[in-house]
Amino acid sequence: MFDIVKNKKIFLTIAGVLVLVSIASLIFRGFNLDTDFAGGMAVTYQIDTAFSVSEVQEIVDNALGSDQSPSSVQQSGNEVIIKFGFDNNLQTDEERSDFSMNKIAAITSALQEKYGTPVENTENTENNENAEATAAPEAEATTAPEAEATATPEAEATTAPEAEATTAPETEGEEATASVTGVTLKNQDIVSPSTGRDLARSAVIMSVLACLAILLYVTFRFEFTSGVVAILALIHDVLILLGVYSVFQWSVDTNFIAAVLTVLGYSINNTIVIMDRIRENTRHARKETYAEIANNSIWQTMTRSINTTITTLLTIGMVYLLGVPSIQAFSLPIIIGIVVGFYSSVFVSGSLWAFWRDSAVKGKKAAAK
Amino acid sequence: MKLYFVGFAYTKEEVKVSRSLVKFVAIILVIAALFYVGLYGLDITDKVRFPGILDEDGITQGLDLKGGTVIVYKAQSDNPTDDEMNTVVSMLRTRLDNQGYTEATLTRQGVDKVRVELPDVQDAQQAVETLGATAQLIFADPTGAEVMTGKEVKNATAEYGQTEQGMTKSSYYISLELTDEGRTKFAEATGRLASQPAGQNYIAIMMDNQPISMPQVHERIDSNSCIITGEFTAEEAKALAANIKSGQLPFSLEQVEVRTVSATLGDEALGNAMKAGIIGLILVLLFMLLVYRLQGLMADLALIGYVAIVFIIIANLHINLTLPGIAGIILSIGMAVDANVVIFERVKEELRLGKTVRSAVDAGFHRALSAVIDSNITTIISAVILWVLGTGTIKGFGITLFIGIIVSMVSAIFVTKFLLKQMIGMNVKNLWFYGVRKKEQDGTLKGGKA
Repeated sequence: MFDIVKNKKIFLTIAGVLVLVSIASLIFRGFNLDTDFAGGMAVTYQIDTAFSVSEVQEIVDNALGSDQSPSSVQQSGNEVIIKFGFDNNLQTDEERSDFSMNKIAAITSALQEKYGTPVENTENTENNENAEATAAPEAEATTAPEAEATATPEAEATTAPEAEATTAPETEGEEATASVTGVTLKNQDIVSPSTGRDLARSAVIMSVLACLAILLYVTFRFEFTSGVVAILALIHDVLILLGVYSVFQWSVDTNFIAAVLTVLGYSINNTIVIMDRIRENTRHARKETYAEIANNSIWQTMTRSINTTITTLLTIGMVYLLGVPSIQAFSLPIIIGIVVGFYSSVFVSGSLWAFWRDSAVKGKKAAAK
Repeated sequence: MKLYFVGFAYTKEEVKVSRSLVKFVAIILVIAALFYVGLYGLDITDKVRFPGILDEDGITQGLDLKGGTVIVYKAQSDNPTDDEMNTVVSMLRTRLDNQGYTEATLTRQGVDKVRVELPDVQDAQQAVETLGATAQLIFADPTGAEVMTGKEVKNATAEYGQTEQGMTKSSYYISLELTDEGRTKFAEATGRLASQPAGQNYIAIMMDNQPISMPQVHERIDSNSCIITGEFTAEEAKALAANIKSGQLPFSLEQVEVRTVSATLGDEALGNAMKAGIIGLILVLLFMLLVYRLQGLMADLALIGYVAIVFIIIANLHINLTLPGIAGIILSIGMAVDANVVIFERVKEELRLGKTVRSAVDAGFHRALSAVIDSNITTIISAVILWVLGTGTIKGFGITLFIGIIVSMVSAIFVTKFLLKQMIGMNVKNLWFYGVRKKEQDGTLKGGKA
């Protein structure tokens, strides 16, 4: 059987190079930060009539005017995703939120002018009902008998604008919505730049906490060398995952954070199973060196490592193949993490463990002489 | 399937076999029943019902599936206190209730933020406008003229005790502390209103032009403190006090995040995810069956049981399912069999060492247990961190991942073991069923040490 531990130089070199490339890319290239991190607006429209990206880009640029950072328009099916940033001169969150609301409204009306306005959907009717329902609890909340008299005009004031919205276009319920073509705003994200900083900070805090907790647990259940090796393997996995996203400049959003943290918890599984086997084999070992123990343990658990990786990839792979873009953004990093995690567990962790253990023994022997 | 009844020298052999068979069939029925309940729910009586995930309200959809608007407010202050932030939450709550957004959920996020989720609300612009940024609390007389604003209230607290001398009954009331300017204004207004006939002698406390309380004025009040009485419950009094206090928040609120998702987008996402889940599940079931044969079949039964239990938990604990949350569940199907893979590989090794099926299964489970527990706990650690420290969809993912791992560990260890024991009890001992060739056992192949 191929001796993985003896040939550790090859595998450790590959791992080392990948990690270094990742670090270099993270430093020099950085991430392609999505709106979640960078701050800005991401608006998705469904356009039922024929359109071209360049056409939409032109409309968007006109609507936005000159006082803002460049915008991007992407097409996916009959939807366009328009992203643009805040004007750098805006100082406060208040100014930014006014800015974004105005700009989105401008884009929406410009697009609807060109491609048509669909009939109001049924949402408004629902809101209307909600608003009417409010009148009652308000009256109850007040203490004086005059409460009802005062509350009633207020409630009417609430329902009025919505009622107008519902009646203005010729609404005929859901059927009408389906049959009329035009531009519908499907999704809008407005994220202040400060949110990205907070998100990044909480992501780092969560990762560090997870690493420390895992290190503690592994040290407690195994021993310190195993703990350090497990964490090194983990850092390797996460760095390469981050590196892939940096090298290819794939966009990084909130879902990516959740995925990275999942990889943090899960890619270590294979390592733990190998460490568990090493722990057991060390107990029964007589003359074997640590390198031999490690190599045996890796091979004894090899089928399991492969099979488990396959079953996980089968499910998360299906999610990736069939999912909508936002769920793909979440499953792709997990897939990469699982593959990288398999490599580090099987080809790196055991060798590193044996190397440290054996050199500790040699050190002792040398000291004894 | 051919069953090999090898005539081992067990006493009361046939009794044992039939007992195992009964247990085996029983647990399969239990799994089938659980699966049914997980899908369609269960009626205990006319009124008591356990929902299943196919029920109308079986899945509590997160905002990214249901469609709606998320607004995150940030306090424009460096260090808002806990108290201040809670006041912000209650202020927003009141305002949302007033505007009919009764399904809205509010959560504190970090130190200085509040996350508002408005299901079904598509018009972010309108939501932002109605929620506004700063509360407008005014005290007005019956003609609508402003008496004073929230700024003139230094503090408002809910208290309990006798409100008038000679009264024996204690009740809840709100104690207001006014600034000097407020005192002057209040004295003037109360002096004027006390002489008005009943029905015209009240001061309306208005939040965003909505009356929240209308205490009657009986006499001129010229004091820095006054009280509002009424038939308050403890909660009402606290809520009113918090509302009055919110009119004097020392900072303003700004929305730092506004997100809207249309319902159709969520429908499509949910449909695709479901399809992916079903196909993924079938692939894993097939894989286990092909690789581990009889043991794989037992693991498959346990896996179906696992899916059923997860369904029941989701439907009955009303777990808020977000898109990453669903991905987490599907991923957990792949992870769930991991424990079985670890165990079965171990059982195979024991078989190759020449052990009998019974002792190989026992030893396999026993020896694999530490690996299963240790590897799952590291994942649990991450899941708990995501659950506790994460926000929004990340939190949802943490919860489902956590549930998935706990349930899968139980099903993989206990259910599979129970099933396998019954198999052995039924004397299914041909090694092929356990994924080991007879030759391998004779040749004492030891793991990778060939």
